[in-house]
Amino acid sequence: MSLITAVLIGLATGIAFGFALEKSRVFEPGIIVGQMQLRSFIMLKVFLAAVITGLVVLAVLNGIFGVPLQLKPLLLRADIVGGLILGAGIALAGACPGTSMAQLGAGYKDAWFIVLGAIFGAMAYGYFYEPIIALLPEKGDKISFDQLLGLPFWMVALALAAALVVFLVVLERFTPWQDEIGADVDGLAPLPAESPKRMDGTTAARRA
Amino acid sequence: MCLMHRKAWPPYLAGIAIGLLQIPTFLLMNTALGASSSFVTVAAHIAAFFDPGIATMKYFASHMYGAKNWWQVAVVVGIAIGAFISMRLSGARRQTISPVWERAMGIRSLGARAPIAFAAGFIMLFGARIAGGCTSGHGISGMAQLSVGSTLAVAAMFAGGILTAMLMKRA
Repeated sequence: MSLITAVLIGLATGIAFGFALEKSRVFEPGIIVGQMQLRSFIMLKVFLAAVITGLVVLAVLNGIFGVPLQLKPLLLRADIVGGLILGAGIALAGACPGTSMAQLGAGYKDAWFIVLGAIFGAMAYGYFYEPIIALLPEKGDKISFDQLLGLPFWMVALALAAALVVFLVVLERFTPWQDEIGADVDGLAPLPAESPKRMDGTTAARRA
Repeated sequence: MCLMHRKAWPPYLAGIAIGLLQIPTFLLMNTALGASSSFVTVAAHIAAFFDPGIATMKYFASHMYGAKNWWQVAVVVGIAIGAFISMRLSGARRQTISPVWERAMGIRSLGARAPIAFAAGFIMLFGARIAGGCTSGHGISGMAQLSVGSTLAVAAMFAGGILTAMLMKRA
């Protein structure tokens, strides 16, 4: 495929992706920190909805049309260590690699520093690649749950999609997204009201 | 109000839209949605400016050239553009930094936030490359493919995020 075609497809895909990220507010640091503080579940809802859709899409593409999957290898230590570090970075940034770009587009100025730091982080990893893989020496196979169960991919994918739909229905009932979105759609609830004034005009001590 | 002009969509609508993007990605690009690799591509080219030896380094070299690598860079740039367009359509203008940082870290200014944001971005991508993917690559794509490794990475991601967020003030 020509480079220009690939770039145009990528831009179109990205624009749609960024649009959805902005509309869902999942790019908001308030939403992401809120998720990690288990105060808000919009990030989980967007995430699982995308996973459910992907499961169904791939059940069709792979199950009916034989489109090959693109599995990543199972690397026990790298997945765990890398995931933990990535998660820490996400909480501190209030963003993941994709949403940091959405923050940039939506107007948060600190996103420029997140992206800059991310580029240097990627650069550092590349320079330290050899010693890092020496620390985490693993050869991984591309293992998927359907293989482990000995069932066709489409079957397990659709079953998981159904289970996740049920989970989301229950989650939404417990904590509706509109209650979490925040007055400025940034995932932040208003601060507790100012200390009440007593009848004699003095102010009660502010609660901690 | 037209859907495109709303300030906030239901998360499910946005999630479905994102999941549907796997269709052109798998059919046209023979790959899955991802974001963190593009940062390696950009980093490699920037480093190549100063260090001509970059192209001989296996990890960098594999990310520098070809349709698939530049496709992902285009996706990630597109994300910024799409978010901008969406923001302009709804008028959901953002402040310099999110008010969450005052609550979570006592930070009110860009000057105070900048070094933390930089370090956070550094840690984020460093971890992503150790894991070989991020919330898009392992999360949205890996779990949709029932990948065991990706599911593990996502679990670790949430664990790391939740533990770190506990160190911050409750926003």
